[in-house]
Amino acid sequence: MNDPVILLSIGILFLGLTAFLFWPERGVFPRYKSFRKMSERVFHEDALKHIQKLALQNKYPSIQSIAGALEVSADQAAIILSSLEVQELISVVNGKWHLTQAGETVALQVLRAHRLLERFLAEKTGFSEEEWHQRAEKLEHSLTLQEIESLARTLGNPSHDPHGDPIPSSDGKVRLREGQSLTMFPINQNGRIIHIPDEPEAVAAQIRAEVIVPGMVVRVLESSPTRVRFLIGGEEHVLAPVVATNIIVSEVKEVPVEIIQGESLALLKIGEEGEVVSLSPRCRGAERRRLLDLGILPGTVVAAEFISPGGQPTAYRIRDSLIALRNDQADWIRIKPLIMEQAS
Amino acid sequence: MSKESKISPNDILATAQNLREQVGGEFHQSLVEAIYTDATRIADRAVIRPDSKPRFDLDRTIDKIVTSRIFGFPLMILLFTIVFWLTISGANVPSQMLATLLLDNLYPWLKGVFAAMSIPWWIDGLLLDGMYMATAWVISVMLPPMMIFFPLFTLLEDFGYLPRVAFNLDNVFRKAGAHGKQSLSMMMGFGCNAAGVVATRIIDSPRERLIAIITNNFSLCNGRWPTQILIATVFIGALVPAQIAGLVSALSVVAIAVLGVLFTFAVSWALSKTVLRGEVSTFSLELPPYRPPRVWQTIYTSIIDRTIYVLWRAIVFALPAGAFIWITSNIQISGLSIAEWVMNWLNPVGLVLGLNGVILLAYIVAIPANEIVIPTILMLTVLGSGISGVGGGAGVMFELDSLSATLNIFTAGGWTLLTAVNLMLFSLIHNPCSTTIYTIYKETGSMKWTLISSFLPLIMGFVITFFVAQIWRLVELL
Repeated sequence: MNDPVILLSIGILFLGLTAFLFWPERGVFPRYKSFRKMSERVFHEDALKHIQKLALQNKYPSIQSIAGALEVSADQAAIILSSLEVQELISVVNGKWHLTQAGETVALQVLRAHRLLERFLAEKTGFSEEEWHQRAEKLEHSLTLQEIESLARTLGNPSHDPHGDPIPSSDGKVRLREGQSLTMFPINQNGRIIHIPDEPEAVAAQIRAEVIVPGMVVRVLESSPTRVRFLIGGEEHVLAPVVATNIIVSEVKEVPVEIIQGESLALLKIGEEGEVVSLSPRCRGAERRRLLDLGILPGTVVAAEFISPGGQPTAYRIRDSLIALRNDQADWIRIKPLIMEQAS
Repeated sequence: MSKESKISPNDILATAQNLREQVGGEFHQSLVEAIYTDATRIADRAVIRPDSKPRFDLDRTIDKIVTSRIFGFPLMILLFTIVFWLTISGANVPSQMLATLLLDNLYPWLKGVFAAMSIPWWIDGLLLDGMYMATAWVISVMLPPMMIFFPLFTLLEDFGYLPRVAFNLDNVFRKAGAHGKQSLSMMMGFGCNAAGVVATRIIDSPRERLIAIITNNFSLCNGRWPTQILIATVFIGALVPAQIAGLVSALSVVAIAVLGVLFTFAVSWALSKTVLRGEVSTFSLELPPYRPPRVWQTIYTSIIDRTIYVLWRAIVFALPAGAFIWITSNIQISGLSIAEWVMNWLNPVGLVLGLNGVILLAYIVAIPANEIVIPTILMLTVLGSGISGVGGGAGVMFELDSLSATLNIFTAGGWTLLTAVNLMLFSLIHNPCSTTIYTIYKETGSMKWTLISSFLPLIMGFVITFFVAQIWRLVELL
C-alpha cells in the first residue's frame, strides 16, 4: 500500500481529476452549472430578444434565424416558437411573426436587465471590458423584477449602458438612438462617440483594441471605402469601414481644442509638467472617483518626478503631494504639456 | 390660479424624462467633476501656503537615492536585513530570561504552592501543566521579538521609507495581480500574520487587499521560526561537516522563507485570475513627505496597537489549548490516552504525507499558536514511544537544551530526514493560527474569505508534502 509509485500515480490521478472537475469555466462542474442555467426560460427570453431586435430593423424572424441566434437546431427553434405562440407572446400576422404586447414587455424587460447588468459590471466590479457582455448575457435571465429595479436604484437609474445603448425604462419605453455612423460623419468636424457595438464579438474586440469608448471626442480625417482614419485624444486611429460603421457619433457644438489634442500623461518625461485637460471615459467607477479624490481635474498641474526602479509606477507631484500612478492609469489622464519657465 | 397652470404629475415626469435625455448619460459624472473642479478653484484662491520649496528639494534628494536603479534595491535589502538581525539577536536574551522566569522558576514555585495547599492532582495538572505552561510558552517565544520588530518597523513607516519600498516593488506585485503595498503587509507577516492581516488596511483596493490577506500566511511568522531553526539545526545541519553546519542550517531556513515568498506571488496571481477576478480594483499609492520619526510615540503605539493586541489574542487562544492538550493526554480510554488514540489513528495518514501521527496531532492542538508545536511534538513523542526519564510527564510540554537529546527523542519517534524536511514545509504551508483566522474574519467580515484563507494553505500543504514524500521515497528506491 505504501509503495511510492502507486501512491504517486493515485496522487497525480486525483489532482488531474480535481482539475478536470473544477477548473474555472472549463471544468465539468462549472460547465454543468452554466448548462443548468440554459433552461426553457433562457431560450424563450433569448428568442424574444432576437425577434425584438429584428423588429427594430423592420425584419422578421424565421426558424433559421432563431436557430442561428440561439445556437440550437432548427427542430428546437420550431418548438421554442410554437411554445411562445401558445403563451401568446408572439402572434402571426400576414404570415410573419410579431411580438404581442406581452411579448414586447418581456423582451424589453430582459434588455433592461442586460444593459443594467453591463453598467453594473463596468462600475462596481473588476471584470474587464470584454467580459461584460458575456456575463450580462448569462445573468440577465436570473433576475426578478424587484432585483432589476433595485439594481437600477443602486446605479442611480442610469440612462445608457457602457456601450452607449439606451436602457429601456421600467415602463417599457426605449429611447431611440440619435447620431450617425462614423463612416457617414463629415470630415474635420468634432463629434462625440455615443455608441460602440457589444456584438458581434469580432467587431467589438477590434474596437476595444483601439481603446475607444462612448464619451470620447472624435474628429474624422479621412473616410474612404477602404479605411476610416480619425483622431481621438491626439492619437490617430484607422479602422476598416465595416468595423467603423458600428460606431455611432453625434455632433458636438463646441469642444475645447485641448481635449482633442490632449496627450497621455504616461508620455510626460521626468522633470516635465503638464496641465490636465480631461480624464478618459475609459476610467470609470471606483477608479475614476479615486483619481478625482486625488485632485486630478481639468486645470490641475501635474509634474513627473521619478520612476520606480521596477519600471513603473511613476511618482507625480499633484497639488503638492506625491502620488504614484501605474502606466495604464497615467494613460487615462490627458494633459497639455507646459513649457517650463526657467526660475530666475 | 388659472386653468393653464394646472399641470398633472405625469407631465412633470415626462418633462423630467425629456430633460434627462438632453443632458445625456454621463450627467452624474459631469456634475461630480464640475463640483470637484469648482471646489479646488475656490480652495486655490482662498488658501495661502507657506513657501515650502526647500523642504521639497530635500525630500526629492532622498527619493532620488532610495528609488534609484542602483541603490534602491540594495538599500532596501540592507535595511530589512538589519531589522531582522536586530530582532533575532536582540530577542534571544529576553526570550531566555522570560523562559527562565516563567518556566524554570515560577512554574516549580506554583507547583509547590499547589502541593502545599493539597490541591487535587488533576486541578493542578489542568491549570499549571496545561493552561499555565502553554500560555507561558507562547509569551516567552512571542513577546520579545514582537517588542523589537514592531517598533523598528513602525519607525521606518513613520519616517516615510516604507511607502517607497511599496513604490520600488510595485511592478513585481502588479505582475502577480497584487498591490505594491502588499510588500509591507508581507514583511509585517514575518513578525506575526495576525498583525500582517491588520496591516493590509493600508491597501484601499478591495481585490488587492483580499489577495494580501489570503496570502499573508505564506510569510513565515515569528512563531514558526523556532520550529524551522530547531529542525534545520538538528537534521539538516547534521548532514554536513560541523564547521559549516550553522551556515547550512541557516541557509535552509532562509530557503523556506524564500519559498514562502514565491508561494505568495504564485497564489496571488492565481487568485487574481480566478476567484477574485470580479472584485473591484483601484491602484493608488501616496508617497508622504519624509519627517523625523517620533520615537516615543511610535514605540508606544506599536506596542499598544500591535504587540498587546496580538499577545492578548494569543493568550486567549493558548489557555484553552493548554487545557485541551493536558486533558487529551491524561484521560485514558481502555489503557491509552485520547492523544495516543488520535495519534495512532492519524499515523497512517501522516506517514503517507512523509510526516507522522504525532506531527498531525500537534498541528491540530497547536492551531491556537504555532509557538507550541515543538514542545507539543516532544511531549507527544515521549508519550507515544514510552521513553522514560525525559520531560515532565503526560500533558506537560517541554524543550531540551541539548540538541543531541532532542535528536534522540525524534529518532525514537521514528523520524527520518524526510520527516524533518516535510515538517519544515508543512510548518510553512498550513492553516493560519486561530488568532490570524479570527483577525481575517474581523477584517473581511466574510465567512467565505475566512474559510478560503484557512483551507487553501492547508490543502496546499497536504498536496505538497504528499508529492515530496512520494518522490523522495521513489528516489530512495532507485
